[in-house]
Amino acid sequence: MRILVVEDDEVAAEYVRKGLMEAGHVVDLAPDGDLGLEMARAADYDALILDRMLPKRDGLEVLGELREDGDATPVLILSALGEVDHKVEGLRAGGDDYLAKPYSFTELLARVEAIGRRSDPSAAVTKLKVGDLEMDLLARTVRRAGQKVLLQPREFRLLECLMRNAGRVVTRTMLLEKVWDYHFDPQTNVIDVHISRLRGKIDKDFDEPLLHTVRGAGYRLQV
Amino acid sequence: MLEAIRKLYKNTLFRLSLLGAFLFVGSLFIAMGYVYFATIQSELRRVDKALVAEFSEFQTIFEEKGLQGVDREVILRSASSEGWYILIAGNIVAGNLAFQKVETQDGTESLIPVESEEDFQKIQFTYSNPETTDPDFQDRRARGLAGPLKTEEGNAGLLLVARDVEATMRTGARVRTAILTSSAIAVILGLISSWFVSRRFTRRVEAFNKLADDVRAGNLDRRVPRTYSEDEMDMLAEHLNAMLDHIDRLMKAMRYAGDSVAHDLRTPLTRLRTRLESAAVELGDTEEAKTLFAAAGDAGELLQTFDSVLRIARLEAGERRELLTDIDPKPILDDLAELYEPACEDSGLTFTSDIISGIKIVADRGLLSQAVSNLIENAIKYTPAGGSIHLSLSKNTARRAVISIADNGPGIPQSDRERVKERFVRLDKSRTLPGSGLGLTLVEAVADLHRADFNMSEGIGKTPERPGLNASLIFPRRRNMRTKT
Repeated sequence: MRILVVEDDEVAAEYVRKGLMEAGHVVDLAPDGDLGLEMARAADYDALILDRMLPKRDGLEVLGELREDGDATPVLILSALGEVDHKVEGLRAGGDDYLAKPYSFTELLARVEAIGRRSDPSAAVTKLKVGDLEMDLLARTVRRAGQKVLLQPREFRLLECLMRNAGRVVTRTMLLEKVWDYHFDPQTNVIDVHISRLRGKIDKDFDEPLLHTVRGAGYRLQV
Repeated sequence: MLEAIRKLYKNTLFRLSLLGAFLFVGSLFIAMGYVYFATIQSELRRVDKALVAEFSEFQTIFEEKGLQGVDREVILRSASSEGWYILIAGNIVAGNLAFQKVETQDGTESLIPVESEEDFQKIQFTYSNPETTDPDFQDRRARGLAGPLKTEEGNAGLLLVARDVEATMRTGARVRTAILTSSAIAVILGLISSWFVSRRFTRRVEAFNKLADDVRAGNLDRRVPRTYSEDEMDMLAEHLNAMLDHIDRLMKAMRYAGDSVAHDLRTPLTRLRTRLESAAVELGDTEEAKTLFAAAGDAGELLQTFDSVLRIARLEAGERRELLTDIDPKPILDDLAELYEPACEDSGLTFTSDIISGIKIVADRGLLSQAVSNLIENAIKYTPAGGSIHLSLSKNTARRAVISIADNGPGIPQSDRERVKERFVRLDKSRTLPGSGLGLTLVEAVADLHRADFNMSEGIGKTPERPGLNASLIFPRRRNMRTKT
């Protein structure tokens, strides 16, 4: 993916750039809002990482300008204002996801890759498939190698989230936000417990596991 | 009534003003007593002196003119002066008192001393006119002197000289009554004014007490209303307000300093974590990578602690109160039950819930979820395997919504229940378990923001060793909530 990072903290921006490049992405940096807007308009990016507080032009302003132009590039907003209401404000302004500082890089990577994929026209699918695991979003059914797997509604949403991001890391925080709509991090391993239950249903009787744990980051559904 | 009197008596100012009133009444009593003695008693002394003078006059007459001279003089004075006389000498009996009915006042039978003394003696008696029933002539008091008329051979006869003192005595009695009555009036007025003054004062002191309670409850922005009369109470109010202003400023500065430290440390900590993580990713699947991931995890924990500190600070500042809306807590609690039920099962705990529907509270979904989640996580963390956790939503007798999380773990001793709500306080028993000591602080901050009570009591353990803990959030009734905000 080609990603533009608009961030005024040089050190942070450099780390993000380095990390994203190592993950196989092409990265441009913009140190302020004006330049960020200019660069976003000039080139076609797959995703934008936008700091909320920027010199010259505020992050939400840049986002507003872009959306007014009809630019639908997915935007991940970064901000030190970690409260839920700021999050809502950012998403309402046209952001696709919101990440509060301090964030872990794996979290940032997972989220950028998730929103970068969202602009894909295949987002409106009714069936998801990862290896021999199939999900019918309309019939709300899941099959592995043709065998029906019975899931609780929440397990279904959990699996759906993982399948939509197949091949990419999904963090625990992302799962909490997207599946449970919680914007705080529990101290205990609640998510792990739910994942292990899901694993018991989709992976237990099969030789090749699909649901992998990525240490220090989260989970990945992959063949 | 008795209770009210006891309460009034406990009032310092009432006691002080009562003491003042009694001192005043006492002084008044002494002053009036002086007036009484200076007038009535000195009048009686004047009478006594006049009697002594008259008696010695008679003695002189007796020495110069003999018994006949005295007899003549007694008859003369009985007819003309206001005095009363009796002369008894041999067969001579003269004097106007002989026609009156006389009663002694000190109980002796006779006016005239039976034993003839060397000198005269003082006597007091009443006399009545037997010829009339006019009360003005009955039982009139008199003082007199009775004594022998002395010659060289012995006593020649007995003489009694007396004066009517009824008017003086009556005036005396009136003055005494007046003194007692006015003292009683002063006492009553003193009591009333003490009560009045103390009530007025108590009201002003109440304002101070209320302020102290409010400040202790965390409302540092409360102040005592000033009267601007510049009296002591007003000056006290001014000084107290100034002191509170100062404390408030210091608290804000301190909190601001702490919060800014937490805030400013986040950026370098984020970088630290990112560096550790990217280094770990570069190393691939090695032991070093594990160590680096662990270090990154520690940095993450630090960041979470700072985040919690900042979040609590924002909650305490009441920043998000406007976000509260009418919500039904049931779906929120159902979701939490569903989220934590498997985790409980994995820890060998029985999780049950009893959530009634149809309750509305004024709350924020996110904050409420977080608070209840903290309480459930605490219950999971401290309840040993085999225990149980119960989540419930109910209405108490005051028709307030109560969310409670009860377990049968070790519980928290009564004496520590307030302390654990403070920042970074962890009980000795829990030091070995992971945690930051901010969980309950956050619950308390969320409760405060919702104007809910956060209470802890004994849980469902039912044994003294393991009483368990029942943590409950008691929400205000919605009507009360609205009028307050």
